[in-house]
Amino acid sequence: MTVMKITLGYLYPDVMSTYGDRGNIETILRRCSWRGIETEVRELRLGDQVRPGELDIIVIGSGGESQQRLIAADLAGVKGPGIQEAVAGGAAALAVGGGYELFGRFCQPGEGAELPGAGLFDTWTVRRRAVLGGHYGTITEARADRVIGDLLVRWGSQLLVGFENHSGATCLGPSAQPLGQVVRGYGNCGDGTEGAALGNAVGTHLRGPCLPRNPSLADFLICAALRRRHAGAVLAPLPDHLEVAAHEVAMARAGQAARPGARARLVALRRSSAQLRQSATGPGQARRPRRGPARLHIGPGTRASGDR
Amino acid sequence: MIASDALRFGPAAAARRVLAVSAGKAARGGVRRLGRGNGTAVPGKVAMAIDAGTLAGLSAQIRRGAVLVTGSNGKGTTCRMLAAIMRAGGLHPIVNHEGSNQLAGLATTLLASAGRSGQLPADPQAIGLFEVDEGSMPAIAPQISRPAAVIVTNLFRDQLDRYLEPDYVRSLLERALRRLPADTTLILNADDPRLAQLAPELPNPRLYFGIGDTGHGRDGVDPTSDFPRCQRCGGELAYSCLFYAHLGHWWCEGCGLSRPEPRVTVTKIDLLGPASSRLRVAVPGAETVLDVPVPGLYNAYNALAAVAAASECRLPGAAFSAIQQVTAGCFRMERVAVPGHDVYLALAKNANGYTEVLRAVLGNGEPRRMLLGLNDNPGKQPDISWIWDVDFDSLGGLVPAAVVSGNRAADLAVRLKYAGWLGASPATDLVTEPDPVRAFELALARTPAGEPLWVVSTSIVLWQLRDWLRKQGYVGQLWREQQGAGR
Repeated sequence: MTVMKITLGYLYPDVMSTYGDRGNIETILRRCSWRGIETEVRELRLGDQVRPGELDIIVIGSGGESQQRLIAADLAGVKGPGIQEAVAGGAAALAVGGGYELFGRFCQPGEGAELPGAGLFDTWTVRRRAVLGGHYGTITEARADRVIGDLLVRWGSQLLVGFENHSGATCLGPSAQPLGQVVRGYGNCGDGTEGAALGNAVGTHLRGPCLPRNPSLADFLICAALRRRHAGAVLAPLPDHLEVAAHEVAMARAGQAARPGARARLVALRRSSAQLRQSATGPGQARRPRRGPARLHIGPGTRASGDR
Repeated sequence: MIASDALRFGPAAAARRVLAVSAGKAARGGVRRLGRGNGTAVPGKVAMAIDAGTLAGLSAQIRRGAVLVTGSNGKGTTCRMLAAIMRAGGLHPIVNHEGSNQLAGLATTLLASAGRSGQLPADPQAIGLFEVDEGSMPAIAPQISRPAAVIVTNLFRDQLDRYLEPDYVRSLLERALRRLPADTTLILNADDPRLAQLAPELPNPRLYFGIGDTGHGRDGVDPTSDFPRCQRCGGELAYSCLFYAHLGHWWCEGCGLSRPEPRVTVTKIDLLGPASSRLRVAVPGAETVLDVPVPGLYNAYNALAAVAAASECRLPGAAFSAIQQVTAGCFRMERVAVPGHDVYLALAKNANGYTEVLRAVLGNGEPRRMLLGLNDNPGKQPDISWIWDVDFDSLGGLVPAAVVSGNRAADLAVRLKYAGWLGASPATDLVTEPDPVRAFELALARTPAGEPLWVVSTSIVLWQLRDWLRKQGYVGQLWREQQGAGR
């Protein structure tokens, strides 16, 4: 039997890693190695090109405005075409936070010219004010313009858990598919959608990092990457009781924070998600939701409520 | 002071200040008598609501001005060390309680020293020594009259859901420094590239401190680094010697900016296990050996910052040795004796803090018993992503039978699983117990008799544990008002 192997392209590892993003890489590596799948990590820095035929999974982490400014031109000009081609060819991708924003068409910072994106997703992000440069007098003021809190996302038949901390609104263009629907939190722009999905590529505001607490999302990406090299490959199940426990803690946390009206529905969702996790089936493509707030969506009025 | 207030602002303003101080003091007594609540901030809030100039008015009465200590990590320990040196040098420092380091907390500290007339006792040796939350610097710095010096210890990624990004905190610090008098000395960590170009246009004197003993450099990059770029040109930084995170002997490959030559350095560090270290400290014209009763490279930085500030305050070199008698602060490797074991309580609230505490305890490669805690701030800050930046990976196997606790224990257990801490054998595998007291009992039961146990955690787990230890009679009562400490 041949050894199965995938190649992971890790974009800007030393720049885009603000929210423990190495945890997402670590999760992919470990979950592969526990199954006997070899993983080669290629760190792609400023100036390095993406060779679409060689990468099975591409990961970019989160970063703030200064990090986005640093990488935007390189991402759009040097790496963008390769990323688009790789995903069109079936490669998996995970883009988180600031990286997700720059996987879209562009990102408009609080001041100055818009930053070009990789153009993978038909999305764009608009930020209210510049974080740096003295636009906010105090941290309290800066936080008030941000969405900070738990984020729960319905992804196909499952629930993804994490938190969000961003100051922009990400808008979906006509050809964009959301990753899922917001159950709790803000998501893309308060319209009830969260993230973007294209082929096997996933973009999301979910921090956490998201993969350790959402092993089904990790396995979805690994499986897609693996099938690019080994058609029909199936992932062996792993004993995920610790991961499931962490998932439950995040759900309970988000549930406590939710408004009373939302709680009953949340409990029901949690129950169904627990059942579905046991069946461990990969999710289908998330359907595009109705426009307008989803039923459980809790709007920006609740954001950053913990600040004093 | 009252008289001069009356002349400047009229009797109404002076009366208002007296009323503010009295009301604040009354609130302080009330909170204490109730024995509950956060007594650190309430009195200051009450007083500042009546008279927003309370802090400025009180700080103006401190004869020798004040030293402010800010930065991500090490503020509290630096203050403790500097306070000891100041006392040995004949000064009478007024120190705020650890954790009460925001505007209202600082006002509370001064209220406690003030008489009912709204005046501090006239003391020619009095000096303020204030730990200041880095996010509160723009609000606090302008309220302190005659700041003699501002110490910035370091800037790390810290509680992003509270402080946002370090670049933003840096911009807040710059704004605060720009409102200081031009003769306030900036005492800065030369090894932190984020601090070298802090408000470079300011004429203020700068005193840099840094570690000179390159024998403690690391190979390669440190996983806890957040890779700051050059603050002048945005270029990539290179290191001839990296101590931890992004602290070291750095230069910019783009513009050539490099670590400023520090005037206060440690020329030799002997790390003497998990409880102490020996430092050879050099200040201009003198060198002295200090046996510091706290471990780790991070405490060498704290000692350096304290010595730098002491030399800036013209305190005699003989006073520096007072550092040797500094006891560990609350949760700073604080030793507690329970039957059969010494227990060390260590607070760690961000990736660098957690990593450096673990390295200080496990640095010599000897396995140690530990309870590792993690909590978030319920209903508030959700972010615990930083545990993925803690360097657990290189320490696997050194902590047999670890116990994991706190309301995010499950996340920490996952982190340790992915760092390769599981799978040795069921007897030594880690166990998860969210309740801190049950976890502590479990950890003690898993620790061989006579061996010490380290409790490394964010603060809520430690406070719950301390409450229990106090009820058992193992530790004395602290002022409840210390409970403002961190997260």
